[in-house]
Amino acid sequence: MNPRDSRRSRVSPVTARGLRGSFLGLAIFLLVVWTAFPFAWILLTSLKQPLDVIAAPPKIVFSPTIDNYLGIFIGKQRGQYASTRPDFPRFFLNSVMISFGAVLLSFLAGVPASYALARFQFRFKEQLAFLFMSFRFAPFIAFLIPLYILFQRLGLYNTYSGLILAYQLISLPFTVWMLRSFFMEVPTEIEEAAKIDGCSWWGVLTRVILPLSLPGMAVTLILGFMFCWNAFNYPLMLAGRRTFPVTVGAIQFISYEEVLWGQMAAASLVAVVPQLILSLFVQKYIVRGLTMGAVR
Amino acid sequence: MEVAAGRARGRRWEQRVLPYVLLVPGLLLLVGMLYPFFLGLYYSFTSYYLQYPHLFKFTGLQNYLTLLPEPKFIYSLKFTLGYAIVAVALQVVVGLGVALLLHRQFVGRGVLRAMFLMPLMMPPVITALMWKVMMASTKAGILNYVLSLFGVPPINWLGDVNPSLVSILIIDTWGNLPFVSLILLGGLQSLPYEPYEAALVDGASGWGLFRYVTLPLLKPFIILAATFRMMDALRIFDVIYATTVGGPADATMNLHMRAFFFAFQWYQMGMGMAYAMVLLGLVFLASFILMAYWRRAAEQTTL
Repeated sequence: MNPRDSRRSRVSPVTARGLRGSFLGLAIFLLVVWTAFPFAWILLTSLKQPLDVIAAPPKIVFSPTIDNYLGIFIGKQRGQYASTRPDFPRFFLNSVMISFGAVLLSFLAGVPASYALARFQFRFKEQLAFLFMSFRFAPFIAFLIPLYILFQRLGLYNTYSGLILAYQLISLPFTVWMLRSFFMEVPTEIEEAAKIDGCSWWGVLTRVILPLSLPGMAVTLILGFMFCWNAFNYPLMLAGRRTFPVTVGAIQFISYEEVLWGQMAAASLVAVVPQLILSLFVQKYIVRGLTMGAVR
Repeated sequence: MEVAAGRARGRRWEQRVLPYVLLVPGLLLLVGMLYPFFLGLYYSFTSYYLQYPHLFKFTGLQNYLTLLPEPKFIYSLKFTLGYAIVAVALQVVVGLGVALLLHRQFVGRGVLRAMFLMPLMMPPVITALMWKVMMASTKAGILNYVLSLFGVPPINWLGDVNPSLVSILIIDTWGNLPFVSLILLGGLQSLPYEPYEAALVDGASGWGLFRYVTLPLLKPFIILAATFRMMDALRIFDVIYATTVGGPADATMNLHMRAFFFAFQWYQMGMGMAYAMVLLGLVFLASFILMAYWRRAAEQTTL
């Protein structure tokens, strides 16, 4: 029995339940509006003509247009609001390439490292693991300033390889800790059995650990990609017009001369589509990912 | 015999050397990350102007001594800390409310949970741009329009000092409330039954049950969520950069923004790094305190 129902109340049970029910309904309604309204409004904005965007009072009913999407994708020119950013598709591809490259590199280095951190005993193990973790909390500016100087000198500024290296600050600590937490979930008994059957460490890794943590690795891959996709501050200073990802690309619609609200709205929506789709697959693991495996 | 000895040697190799070999690629990248960090730490002790390389000089603590009495530094420090504390407190309290709501049974709960999660995975800078559209200062802004229905005059959300602080708080909360709620929801779902049964036998009910059973049991989860949020709130940057750029009149200029301005607007890399190091120290101090607090709470609840 629900403990709350046993409470003696001066209000008759039926009215109390009705009151509580409508309170619950109101809370749910508020939560839905709070969460969904910004999405709805940005969608509406992205479908508006420039004059409709700045109309007061705001227009809910207007004749929708796809000009903003055409503007950001093929740089279609329209009337006096001709300024367009036809390089947005490039920004999108940049995001895909840099994020994927960064996660791939993190996996190459992270899989063996996490295996060692999950299954072996050696000196300074915990200190080393903590060192990886500490990058999760460090303010990015402490790395950005020296990286900016180094990249200028080494010719890595405004290059994909440079950005992929810089993104390791985001993806490597995450990958190591997530994979470690998934590898640790594989029962040691199976590993022992494989060793008795004559498997070397390589056999244990490739035939036991990796296959059994395949779902966990997929989750790590997707979440790592998403975190890299969200990155804004490293590419803000280390990338140039050629290598901007969507996050930096989206603020390009704001300049001193004008703000292209409609195109910015369209670009913002396009920039989050991969996130919204990918998050469907990893919903249950998002908190685990954000806490680097600390909260299951 | 030989085989056995060889295998034993193999085992020893596997135990002693192999983990280090496995760590090599990861350590290489780690060194690649630590090198710029220590380089930056060194820069914080130098006068490094990007445009005037000939002025580069090791100046010891000069940068730190210059910034400490600086009123702008003191404001940034206060704002960074104050913002983080207010934001975390608000998000934990509201987040707990939402977690309690999502913990109840109702039709469409799964859909609501999935939807509520979405802001969490958005790039913070895009979240900020979405709100920037709604926070337009004139009556064209939807927020001002809705408020005008209640007779509230238009608010200059991102252009006036006090509203800009509230605006940053709203945007940050929209993006991160789901994080707090999800951790607390996980906590609620993992709570044991026994304390509730015992409390019911003792005649506890409603509020008392929440105050004296649920809340203490949730404590480790609350501290954990607060710890992660605190770390991020102290470092908040993307949202401020995309909305107020530290303005109006430096009102939203936290340590992170100011370090960025020193380095990339005024090209004073040394001073920028000094600010960055102060922020780093603050973050580590906060994480150290909160982690210790969390460990104690976790021990108390398992007893």
